[in-house]
Amino acid sequence: MSAPEIFSLGQTHITSHTFNADRSQVAVSLNSRDVQIFARQGNDWTPTETLSEHDKLITSIDWAPNSNRIVTSAQDRNAYVWQQTPDPQTGRSIWKPTLVLLRINRAATYVKWSPNEDKFAVASGARAIAICSFDPEGDWWVSRLLKKPIRSTVFSVDWHPNNVLLAAGGADMKARVFSAYIKDVDKRPSPSVWGEKLPFNTICGEYASSSGGWVHSVGFSPSGDALAFAGHDSSVTVVYPSSQAIYHIKMTTLPLVTLTWTSEEALVAAGHDCQPFVFSGNEGGWQLIGTLDDPNQNKTSGRSGSGGAPSPVGRLQSSAFNSFRNADSRGLSGPGAPDGGKSNDTELFTVHQNTITTIRPYDGAPGAVSRVSTSGVDGKLVIWDASAISPVSVGSLAGKMGGMSLR
Amino acid sequence: MDVNFRKIDVDQYDEDVLLDSELYEADPRDPAQVLDDAKQKATAVRSSLSKGDIVGALTLVLTDTPYGPNVEEAKNLNLQTLVTILNSTKATEIPGVVRSLSQDAQDTLMKYLYKGMGLPGWGDVSGSVLLGWHEKLTEVAGTGCIVRAMTDRRLV
Repeated sequence: MSAPEIFSLGQTHITSHTFNADRSQVAVSLNSRDVQIFARQGNDWTPTETLSEHDKLITSIDWAPNSNRIVTSAQDRNAYVWQQTPDPQTGRSIWKPTLVLLRINRAATYVKWSPNEDKFAVASGARAIAICSFDPEGDWWVSRLLKKPIRSTVFSVDWHPNNVLLAAGGADMKARVFSAYIKDVDKRPSPSVWGEKLPFNTICGEYASSSGGWVHSVGFSPSGDALAFAGHDSSVTVVYPSSQAIYHIKMTTLPLVTLTWTSEEALVAAGHDCQPFVFSGNEGGWQLIGTLDDPNQNKTSGRSGSGGAPSPVGRLQSSAFNSFRNADSRGLSGPGAPDGGKSNDTELFTVHQNTITTIRPYDGAPGAVSRVSTSGVDGKLVIWDASAISPVSVGSLAGKMGGMSLR
Repeated sequence: MDVNFRKIDVDQYDEDVLLDSELYEADPRDPAQVLDDAKQKATAVRSSLSKGDIVGALTLVLTDTPYGPNVEEAKNLNLQTLVTILNSTKATEIPGVVRSLSQDAQDTLMKYLYKGMGLPGWGDVSGSVLLGWHEKLTEVAGTGCIVRAMTDRRLV
């Protein structure tokens, strides 16, 4: 059981983060039109490259581990595939963008490479999902649109391990499983629990959470035989199509917005409650078993601000410095604050100080993920040990709600 | 300033408009039957209350609640029945009652509390009673319960 690694990459929202194959580099978007690539040096991340091509806010980034390509989507309705190529003048390798013809008229909201990395799916606000594959004759990425029966913005997609099926969830309050079969790319998929004949745009399943609500995040289990999704009604739903079993887990906390499976019988989800929750179960039932954010540990680290994380100001942890920093980053009337205790009023007892928006597997093969990484609105990137589970204490919840009435 | 343009129904020009009815499953019962059920429940609740069985009465009134269009009368009757229960419960009993409700019933109760707060002075709805219940219910069911009351399109 090791403590989480905490890195502060900026003071703004990390819209999305994605690591390369050996986890030595991470691509993030700091709520801007650019992708920043950071390289790890010991315990620190240093910015190495900036990928600028989008002209609106970047919404999602995905780094394909094997083919080492990055795909980005943005509110400018475009997606780019970035590939490392040697610069003809200097010979240095640079990231070169290729435009993808998405044919959508609203923002692209989420992007994800398929397991074989020969296609990717772009979710969008245009009530459609673009399935993109490479056309060697035209030397560009072409897309086919999944449209029916999507009624609103799609927030997230996830690929089935067979490279054909795609799960999607969005603002029409449904999570669906589609076939994204493309003739020139895919071999005919073998029959699975989701169906046998799978031409493009076949609907293999449609589910909603118990009290409705937007579907923020979807995920296939490592085998692909189960589907989990998180809804804005503060619930997680797990679906087993083979036995028609559907489990709704209603939370007492704020909604979860992102989830990832760590094994066939466990998943981690996080969101507006600023901590990653662990759920466990199987075809017989599912339940919340704990959180990765040890509440006892954080009380001490939380008080010292960035919690021993290698921040650029390292030793400058004086109370005067803290009050100025709070005035800058949180808008607190810091310089006038009489003591440190006062300025801690808005400090949450969690590692993340604001909503977690992305969670990804960090270490381990699919089905045996040992560490996960999270990033969120507070500009922190945290790597958690997926086995370090602490029980969710009722006391900490009540304490937090007491704090909420103060604000 | 002329603000009438804000009231123009722009959706009528959209061929592919998303209707409310597509966002939740409609009640399979027909409106007359829903009203009938609500009336029967009101009677049953009165007899439960006379026996002092508050949890039983609440569970009854919070199951198969009327929702959706065309059942306004049943909705009002059910709210009236519920308010009777809420008003007749002693403040000290509320935490115990709330804790013994099922999670679904807790969520539905939260929906009614918010509906009641939106109708001040309607019937014998009293703001202080509703706020008292709301406080205790939130302590037990958390913020998740409030979020569900907001997201659920099956409006009571």
